[in-house]
Amino acid sequence: MSLIALLGATEIGLIFALVALGVLISFRILNFPDLTADGSFPLGGAVAATLIAGGHDPWMATLAGTAAGALAGLTTAWLNVRLNILQLLASILVMIALYSINLRIMGAPNMPLIGATTVFSPFIALSPDSQYVIQPMVLAVIVVIAKLALDAFFASQSGLAMRATGANPRMARSQGIATDRMVLIGMAISNALIALAGALYVQTQGGADISMGIGTIVVGLAAVIIGETLIPGRTIMIATLAAVLGALVYRLFIALALNADFIGLQAQDLNLITALLVGFALVLPSLKRKLAAKRSAASKGSTAHDAR
Amino acid sequence: MMRAKGLFKTFNPGTPIENPALRGASLDIPQGQFVTVIGSNGAGKSTFLNAISGDLIVDQGSIEIAGRDVTRLSAWQRAGLVARVFQDPMAGTCEGLTIEENLAIAWQRGNKRGLKGSLNASLRSQFRDKLATLNLGLENRLTDHMGLLSGGQRQAVSLLMASLKPSQILLLDEHTAALDPKTAAFVLELTDQIVRENQLTAMMVTHSMRQALDHGDRTVMLHQGRVVLDVAGEERAKMDVPDLLAMFERTRGEALADDALLLG
Repeated sequence: MSLIALLGATEIGLIFALVALGVLISFRILNFPDLTADGSFPLGGAVAATLIAGGHDPWMATLAGTAAGALAGLTTAWLNVRLNILQLLASILVMIALYSINLRIMGAPNMPLIGATTVFSPFIALSPDSQYVIQPMVLAVIVVIAKLALDAFFASQSGLAMRATGANPRMARSQGIATDRMVLIGMAISNALIALAGALYVQTQGGADISMGIGTIVVGLAAVIIGETLIPGRTIMIATLAAVLGALVYRLFIALALNADFIGLQAQDLNLITALLVGFALVLPSLKRKLAAKRSAASKGSTAHDAR
Repeated sequence: MMRAKGLFKTFNPGTPIENPALRGASLDIPQGQFVTVIGSNGAGKSTFLNAISGDLIVDQGSIEIAGRDVTRLSAWQRAGLVARVFQDPMAGTCEGLTIEENLAIAWQRGNKRGLKGSLNASLRSQFRDKLATLNLGLENRLTDHMGLLSGGQRQAVSLLMASLKPSQILLLDEHTAALDPKTAAFVLELTDQIVRENQLTAMMVTHSMRQALDHGDRTVMLHQGRVVLDVAGEERAKMDVPDLLAMFERTRGEALADDALLLG
């Protein structure tokens, strides 16, 4: 694999690290199976691309895309918390609705950004020949900031309340935590991160496309699961680090698979590989448990019991 | 101080499985009193407790805690007044969080939660001191996950969490029912100690008449969603389980259907 291909994989991996952090919040911390991502990722991209193409400041455009994502997450959470629509269903409704909304925002199925000023432009201007190195570097800084900000938040009183909300809502309420509000805020943060990823994605890829969101949630989930397998651990700092690394490893793995001619895989096989990978990773824990149960059944007789 | 007046609650009203769980239950608990509540299955004990905690909102009646009408408030809004230990050791704590994180959550019960760090050195040392009073060696395991603890240890920590912040009433919902007898005795002893030391107003729901008479200052019995027996002081001190049963039968003019359940 060439250096440019490696840097390209790193770049996309870093963008999906933001998606993975968002998925970590919804799926793992809030225990909220959320598919909004497939709509909020292109939403962030559509808003940012439209604003940039309209000549607005790229940072403002990125921020606006991120805010739009927060709104999408808020909508999903509101459907669940206030209208009692099943979590998965609420997120699918918002995802479907966003498809139309994204088309409306862009006014067309795609929006090219070739030659437009992006958040990367000033950095690339410093050293015009090294765009392939500079974009991943800028993204890495953004990802590190996001990771550290989340670590700090989840160590705060509010962040701890949010974790309790996902882990044991009844206990959380008995401790005075407004669990509904926590779900609303958490889902907003989650989808804001995913939309931020979308907004940055269109700026690295030279444009937005209506179908760019397909499979976002699966990739995000794959990253989280791979991360958990690579560095298991239950502290937040490790979980966020694992999600980021998982996204990077996942994209590198995909790039390697596609580059290895002897396997015979092509770009169009990407979603199939992802689905297989995530499917396998989802079954793995229960397989492990079954195996462990068999093993303990074999060595029965010594059941330790802590008296107090 | 807690005052529940004429509570009514019917589950699934207007359906074949309609269940009038509370039918005018009333109870006054003065400041500093420890009340034990008994009753057979379906007597409405848990419903009564959940009505006071705010886990469910009653159809009729009023609930006042420390002079404040909380009848329409949800559980999280009442949390500043009400502390609680659940029956299921898994229910009162977060197993995915560490011991210190669980304590930090309880430390803010009823307070506004901001972006300040949830833990710091002085909090940790306070938590360590509190945990040391349990004599379970947990003071050296602050960063262990709650899931690693046994049921008894978790109930002990739950009790500690419930007493970290002042409350107007402590609700104990058959909190020893899921434990083995030896562990249950330990947790009950700890309960007495914590209630006494913090001079708490408490209400303990239990399945066992023995427990109900041995602990607290006053015993009430719920039957068909109402308080049917209320004993305290001298009269209660002389009482044994058969006396309580006989008294119940006299009051109701009927024998309890499931004596066996209550005698334990």
